[in-house]
Amino acid sequence: MSTVSHRVFRRRHPDISRLDENILRMVGCRDCLNRAAELVRDVPGPVFELGLGNGRSYDHLRRLFPDREIYVFERKVAAHPDCVPEADRLFLGDIHETLPAAARRFPRQGALLHADVGGADPDVNDRLAALVARYVPELLRPEGIAVTSVACPELEPAERPDTVDPKSYFMYRPRRQVSDG
Amino acid sequence: MAEAGKEPFQRTPDSSRLARMIRRLETQRIALEWAAAEISGLPGPVIELGLGKGRTYDHLRLLMPEREILVFDKLLHAPKDCIPPEADFFLGDFLETAGQARERIGEGAVLAHADIGSDDREKDARRVAAMAPVLDRLLRPGALVLSDREMHVARWQRVDVPNMPSNWVYYAWRVVGA
Repeated sequence: MSTVSHRVFRRRHPDISRLDENILRMVGCRDCLNRAAELVRDVPGPVFELGLGNGRSYDHLRRLFPDREIYVFERKVAAHPDCVPEADRLFLGDIHETLPAAARRFPRQGALLHADVGGADPDVNDRLAALVARYVPELLRPEGIAVTSVACPELEPAERPDTVDPKSYFMYRPRRQVSDG
Repeated sequence: MAEAGKEPFQRTPDSSRLARMIRRLETQRIALEWAAAEISGLPGPVIELGLGKGRTYDHLRLLMPEREILVFDKLLHAPKDCIPPEADFFLGDFLETAGQARERIGEGAVLAHADIGSDDREKDARRVAAMAPVLDRLLRPGALVLSDREMHVARWQRVDVPNMPSNWVYYAWRVVGA
């Protein structure tokens, strides 16, 4: 018998396996980033990567954007050694502090922001999504694109590739949604 | 044949760590689903060697809800909802815990999935050479073995898994001799 009695968090897809879920999320990430790279091809400015993790999507971004500055936000770097950014491209610390600092340094200058943030706890995810949604318009040019792992209903959706599962990855323009209520 | 998971270095998005991880997981899913269908008429439990984050364990238990799945790992760091029942989880070095699982396995397991590779291929090769004969003793004739690293056991015959992506290598064998 299992003795596990921890709180089990709600999954986005309760009927599929974690293997399926991981594939959906990573395919969503890859295909949204690829599409975003096309959309911002002629939009100048740096790229922002929120959450380095083990560096997989950072590795993808630096191949998509070999000529751009990529700034990475991370609390504590624990990526694969060949995926660690240069120190002067790193915003180290809590994003509650590093996001406002970046917005002061690059006001509406960025072309793309990718935020792979949050995890299993939906309440934490909602708070992080609100924070990201608040700073996307301050960091990105109006023609920029934000790609996120959490839904940001405050932002205006951008069209995603058909291969992206709609609950797995998200793409936005840096404009706040006009509320119809 | 290309080495599993080893691709020539290219600085294209297609060979990023993200793209490669997707290929690895998609390959695993195809291999597991093929194997589950292949063994559907045979009795015996399933062995999951390496729980990791519990992704493939979760997939196996959804594919085969009626089967016992015995899980072996040195560490337990899977998400809470992918932790096996205590009696089905063998914590420690497989070379030692395999013996403890022997009586649970009875006539032999019908499928073993060994996702055990690391970035250190020489170390992996030594480890796999030690593990393969121990794993073999837990398997029944007709059983399937899937792994991301090549193993050599006299009574295992390489099998080609249909519809596998050409850009990621996963190994499959059928236990033929008694």
